[in-house]
Amino acid sequence: MTRILIADDEEAPREQLLAALRLAWPSAQVVATAVNGVDAWDAFLEHEPEVCFLDIRMPGLSGIDVARRIGQQAQVVFVTAYDDHALSAFDAGAVDYLLKPVETERLAQTVQRLQARLTPSASAGLPDMQTLLRQLTEQSRRAPPLAVLQAAVGREVRMIRTDEVVYFESDSRYTRVVHGNANAGADALIRTPLKELLAQLDEQLFWQVHRSVIVNHRHIAAAVRVDEGHMHLTLRGRPETLPVSRHFQALFKGQ
Amino acid sequence: MRSPRIEWHQLWYPGRRTPFTADEMARAGSNAPGPTMVVAVLSNVLMLGALAMQLAPRGQAWQVALSMSLMAVAGGLAARWLWWQPWRRPLMQVSIGIVVLLLVLAFFIRWQVPNRDDRQGLALVVGGGCAMLPLLMWFLVIWRAQQIEGRLRELAEREQAIEMARRLTAAQLEPHFLFNTLASLQHWVQTKDDRAAPLLSALTGYLRATLPMFKRPLLALADELLAVERYLQVMQARMGSRLTWHIHLDPALHTLQLPPGVLLTLVENAVMHGLEPQLAGGELHIRGTRQAQQALIEVSDNGAGPPAELHEGVGLSNIRQRLQLTCGPTAALELGAAPGGGFRAQLLLPFNSATP
Repeated sequence: MTRILIADDEEAPREQLLAALRLAWPSAQVVATAVNGVDAWDAFLEHEPEVCFLDIRMPGLSGIDVARRIGQQAQVVFVTAYDDHALSAFDAGAVDYLLKPVETERLAQTVQRLQARLTPSASAGLPDMQTLLRQLTEQSRRAPPLAVLQAAVGREVRMIRTDEVVYFESDSRYTRVVHGNANAGADALIRTPLKELLAQLDEQLFWQVHRSVIVNHRHIAAAVRVDEGHMHLTLRGRPETLPVSRHFQALFKGQ
Repeated sequence: MRSPRIEWHQLWYPGRRTPFTADEMARAGSNAPGPTMVVAVLSNVLMLGALAMQLAPRGQAWQVALSMSLMAVAGGLAARWLWWQPWRRPLMQVSIGIVVLLLVLAFFIRWQVPNRDDRQGLALVVGGGCAMLPLLMWFLVIWRAQQIEGRLRELAEREQAIEMARRLTAAQLEPHFLFNTLASLQHWVQTKDDRAAPLLSALTGYLRATLPMFKRPLLALADELLAVERYLQVMQARMGSRLTWHIHLDPALHTLQLPPGVLLTLVENAVMHGLEPQLAGGELHIRGTRQAQQALIEVSDNGAGPPAELHEGVGLSNIRQRLQLTCGPTAALELGAAPGGGFRAQLLLPFNSATP
């Protein structure tokens, strides 16, 4: 059974797509719905859907940002209310897109295309979606990355420069921030959930390696493959290791 | 296109046919002659005077000097007079004046210089000077009229550009807004959701208020506010609990006239760039207060606040232009961070509480 993720920040279009999918693709199962880009990415990591329907304009991360993170790990269909100039990039047929409100007949075509791609033999000749996504990302202006974090430790609010952070780890409703060097290392808790933090960090510096771990790549010493499907990272001058989940193992493939 | 033809009347009655109106002169011809021009003209007059003194017959220096000074003063006065009315009727009057002056001088010479041969040399110098005067006046009037016409044309083009921008704003109904709203509406109609009817009526109200709005040069704040409220109702229906808004407006400001769409654009910007990108949404405040001679209208949100470099789009530069044009140079739009975080736009408008 095909597993589907739907992400849209507005309720009506989300439900409308859900209803249309039930008609056009009864055999598929919507495993998660997300109300913004940050939730969408988190839900993707949690549920590992094969198909994602993403609204382009969403708070946190845009649909395009989420698609770029998903990469080749799932089929992405963009959903938008208005045929932007951005969508012309998809005319090549690399990824499909739908206009809101989604019409069942049009959706049926998309479903056919998706089913063809989901059969193992078809996936070989896929056009390079990453190039398209890079073009789209360049078009959308983004806020500059977060420079400093404020962590309440006892009575003081500690200012932590993000470039001094070694890694972030999700800790139930909080995020643990491990920063500084081995001698003067420290950790602090901040209230921002990891998934929200991700959208605000410098992508060049911070790599998500697990649903609950984002690491500053300058502090990675090595990626160690434990067995088929399991990998962990060792850090410079630190004893602890960090897990790398399957989705992110492609980051460490050697050259 | 008409082929250029010779305007014969320019030969015997030169200059611009229709006078500039007082309004046209005020807009494009209010500049006094520049100091460079005054100095250039004076030095030329001095040089001509010196030349005339050289050419003057012996023993008649004072007559030449007197005639020349008289012509210079008359010419200067006439030029100043024509500067403020550079068209053909005053030019003709000045020309007639110069002819009269020439006749006066001729009698003066005849009375002063009994010798016929001496008279001829003197008449040549004085007559030559007098003949140059109308030519100079003619140049002045033509040049000045062209200067004013050029400036008027430039002003008209600029106003046309602003008018175009105004029309464009009218056509600038955000397609994302419209289609997203229609998408929600269609779903709620299909599923017989109770939210469909209020959303449709808010959208209708918004369109009814905004589409004819831009045809008018000015709009009362109360009318503009109607459009703003409809817009917010539509966004509220779509964003649900992610959007809350508050409006506090001094009732005296209801009649305040401002260019249409200004407040709406600020509110749309706050929702689109300030609140929609926030995961949890946020609050929007519209406040209107009155000070002595000023009205302050403030739109603030508690979103992400201004970006490092604020990039002003077409909408905002359009607002500034229209404010200057309709509310005068004291009207201002200030953009920046709100005190409690988020973004704040402040409109400062001249407001006379005595004559609403």
